[in-house]
Amino acid sequence: MAATKKLMSVRRDWRERDVRVVLAALIIAVATVATIALFASQLQRTLVSSASSFLAADRQLEAENGRPVPEPWINEATERGLETGRMVEFSTMVFGSDAFQLVSVKAVSNEYPLRGELEIQGSSEGSRVQVENGPAPGEVWINPRLLRLLDIQLGDTLEVGSRMLTVAGLVLREPDGGFSLSALAPRVMMHVDDVASTGVLQEGSRVKYVYLFAGEEASLERYYQWLQPQLEPSHEWEGVRDGETFSRSLDRAESFLLLGGSLAVLLAAVAVAVASRQYALSQRDTVALLKTLGLGSSGIGRLYLKRLALWGVTGMVGGLLVALPLFWVLTRLLSEALERPVPFQLDSAALTPALLTAVVSLFAFAYPPIRRLRNVPAMRVLRSQPGETGREALPDMLIAIVAVFGLVWLYAGEVSLVISLLGGLALLLGALGVLGWLLVATLRKVRGGGHAWRLALVGLYRHRRASLSQIAVFAMTLMLATTLILVRTSLLDDWQGQLPDDAPNHFLINIAPDAVDEVADYWEERGQPLDQLYPMVRGRFTELNGQPVKQVVSKDQRVGALNRELNLTWMPSLPADNVIVAGSWFEEGQTDGVSVEADLANALGLVLGDELTFTIGSDKVTANVTSIRTVQWDSMKPNFYMAFPPGGALTNMPATWITSFHLPKDRKSELNEFSRRFPTVSLLEIDNIIERIQEIVRQVTQAIEAILVLILAAALVVMAAVVSATLQDRQREGALLRTLGGRQSLLVRSTMLEFALLGGFAGILGVAAAEAAVWALQFRMFEGAFSWHWQVVLPIPIISAVVLSMFGRWQLRPVLSVSPMLLLRRLE
Amino acid sequence: MQTTNPDGQRLMLRVENLTHRVSLETDTLTILKAVSLEINRGESVAIVGRSGSGKTTLLGLLAGLDTPTEGTVELDGAIISRLSEDERAQLRAHRVGFVFQSFQLLPALTALENVMLPLELAGMNAPEKRARELLERVGLGERLTHTPRQLSGGEQQRVAIARAFASDPAILFADEPTGNLDNRTGQEISDLLMALNQEQGTTLVMVTHDEQLAARCSRQFHIEAGELTEPVAQVELAH
Repeated sequence: MAATKKLMSVRRDWRERDVRVVLAALIIAVATVATIALFASQLQRTLVSSASSFLAADRQLEAENGRPVPEPWINEATERGLETGRMVEFSTMVFGSDAFQLVSVKAVSNEYPLRGELEIQGSSEGSRVQVENGPAPGEVWINPRLLRLLDIQLGDTLEVGSRMLTVAGLVLREPDGGFSLSALAPRVMMHVDDVASTGVLQEGSRVKYVYLFAGEEASLERYYQWLQPQLEPSHEWEGVRDGETFSRSLDRAESFLLLGGSLAVLLAAVAVAVASRQYALSQRDTVALLKTLGLGSSGIGRLYLKRLALWGVTGMVGGLLVALPLFWVLTRLLSEALERPVPFQLDSAALTPALLTAVVSLFAFAYPPIRRLRNVPAMRVLRSQPGETGREALPDMLIAIVAVFGLVWLYAGEVSLVISLLGGLALLLGALGVLGWLLVATLRKVRGGGHAWRLALVGLYRHRRASLSQIAVFAMTLMLATTLILVRTSLLDDWQGQLPDDAPNHFLINIAPDAVDEVADYWEERGQPLDQLYPMVRGRFTELNGQPVKQVVSKDQRVGALNRELNLTWMPSLPADNVIVAGSWFEEGQTDGVSVEADLANALGLVLGDELTFTIGSDKVTANVTSIRTVQWDSMKPNFYMAFPPGGALTNMPATWITSFHLPKDRKSELNEFSRRFPTVSLLEIDNIIERIQEIVRQVTQAIEAILVLILAAALVVMAAVVSATLQDRQREGALLRTLGGRQSLLVRSTMLEFALLGGFAGILGVAAAEAAVWALQFRMFEGAFSWHWQVVLPIPIISAVVLSMFGRWQLRPVLSVSPMLLLRRLE
Repeated sequence: MQTTNPDGQRLMLRVENLTHRVSLETDTLTILKAVSLEINRGESVAIVGRSGSGKTTLLGLLAGLDTPTEGTVELDGAIISRLSEDERAQLRAHRVGFVFQSFQLLPALTALENVMLPLELAGMNAPEKRARELLERVGLGERLTHTPRQLSGGEQQRVAIARAFASDPAILFADEPTGNLDNRTGQEISDLLMALNQEQGTTLVMVTHDEQLAARCSRQFHIEAGELTEPVAQVELAH
């Protein structure tokens, strides 16, 4: 079957422009979606591994009831192939040579840490070293400040309870150091097996048992499913995603990647649709001839279906061949930027959406026009038949739109994304309708002539149907690309805005009320003024509307905040990054009421007017909820669940003060002097955490830039597809114009102008629709982080006009380079 | 089932009351009005008429490329309007050949492949051997691997004629076969067409403007405004 085989061969197809565009669109779609999915999954692993180190594990189980969890729970985890480790945390007094100090002890098992690294200094002159395990039995590692506070040296002994332990190292960085405000006292790290022999822990001691778990995500999830029904309210299961600092960055990065992938899907669909419609039109003569020669409709159907399948396979294989090296390069770049790279891993499940994209774009967009080829009348060989009116394509279009949005939905899992994009597109189509009407109404009166402008306008009017559909596709493409550029810009600005270079990187805690002014002056004098100082009172939320809170709140609603002491404060004004979502902030002079953080209020079902009772030591304090506010947890500033007004219920409670400030890296040594001057003030160094967050932002930024490049490439393919759709007509017209004596320069100028107008219109419409879509997206996916970026948006119509006029000039090449006679014959 | 005419000759084509109308936006246009005709096996028939008289439409209906609004076409014993589209395609694949004014060769295929195509579609054995023989017969034995773009108009029409005879059709429809060619080439093509027709014993139905070509057929039908005038005897036309 040499001839029929040849008719269907992809190699021969490749010679046809429209097929090249379909294949290029498919390859780019598969490559983009696959690269994004692979990279997103790699990034996810990197982020999780970075963030996991904040827990020293993938998951933590905390028991705050002072009792270890049942041993079978841990055995079950081991049997399920999870790595486990345990820690015991408590506060106690330790004794040095002739001083004593309250410390925060963390006793760890051999496995600690399961994730992240521990950094210590093993001798007084030694350098920082990374170690993989905690101290050995009989040894302790301590916070460097304790050396001075207890007047001891490395190698001395430290008395913990009834046990003498050797100080073998200084803890410089713990993977799970975090910045939990409960860790106020300096750290002492010891081996968990030594705890019993110290005799410190007695019945009723305040102690926290923490269990560490690490392993496959799926195994962890299954283990949690098994464990969850047995957990008591005092047990808290913590995963990376619960960490407030990271969850937002993670979610946003993921949302962005998904948005990018979805846009790639849409762009590919548009390109495939345009090119395959064009291809189908060009195939009508062949189909009519094949029918005349005796091939039936079903034979025609089979012939083209096979061809479509071949394109699909070519697109998938080609796409993967592009995606894999690209992914490898991106991963390499990512690894170079990372302190602790995650090994390259090919997540084959991540390829499913890419392959599905190829199948859906082929069958929802390319198949319908090609299927209609079966209906081409054989009579066409004798006489050209009326073409498609476009009406018969309407149901296909509906199916295609549903299919592609279904795909986006399936892919991004975000209804709001689908709705925002649909809304933007609807707006675009509406605007296009108006534009079409204007075009017809105003351009009808323009008469052609020897002027490039007039020729361009006449050209627009004469091709009004094609012009409008081109504007529609260009505008849609630009809308999708602009949406991504806008989201990227606002995302990056937002991140940089959150963690500026001078973001607070140190906390001062435990400032006694009478030392507040002195501490503030100390830093003021040294040119490092403190941020706002907040009083801090530790208390438990115990009653809601007069009922014990643990009875009122169902087990499902219980949150960690109920199980531990909360830091309560009073503040005169609302911090700049907090936003009131219900009620109103305290008025001047108001002393009653309390403002509650929104997520907590939501989790506990608190509403305005609810009466909350807090137990502070032996006292009880009651206040009604007067406002609910959101808090910027990742601002690296003191944040509070509960805020009272000055002079309110907390005023007479024992308080210490807290603040944060920025200290440049090269001035860290000044902290020692500060500690000597204010020995009772606890210093929490979070510069390492901030550096790590900035590192993550850098990684995500790189990914976003790479994805943007891919999407813009896809957008260019769409444009090329659309422009090449009218190539033949325009070349014929150009050749005729030259035959009739038109000058080359006139032809070039008018064509470039016509395309520039197309590009300009499309740019304006696309940008407007993108703004609408992003405006809708900002609320749902990116939590109001959006701000307008006219400087980004304004150049787009201009760039689009320039790029399209270049496309137009490029189309004219054959018209200008060969004789009109030859061209007309070729185009016959 | 074989159909014969009153003289006992076997009929290739019988048309009764063929009417064809197309709907326009405002009204309906009648292109053919109650056309009836019979063509015997082995006959060569020319359909002549002015542009727009309906002759191409008639050819399309006779060949089963289209179905009429009213009336029947019986081609080689099969009533075309009763066949499904796929059955009509089958009929064309095995019994019908075509030659067109604009040649209608597939530009991507070589001369040889263009001729092999109908043989492959009809599922015939050794298509390449048969295609080679035919191309040699039409004088293009040296041009087998050339694509249509590399051939002149006359050469392209030779390939088209070779393709038309490839599947050994019982009837050949030709639509202005010399319409796109100069006089001399047109003459050569006419000669070739008539010669092959004689050799193969094919029934030939041809639409043409070319009076000389029409004159070489055994009968002529004149069509005017969709109506067929009586077939004119060849002898009378000669005067």
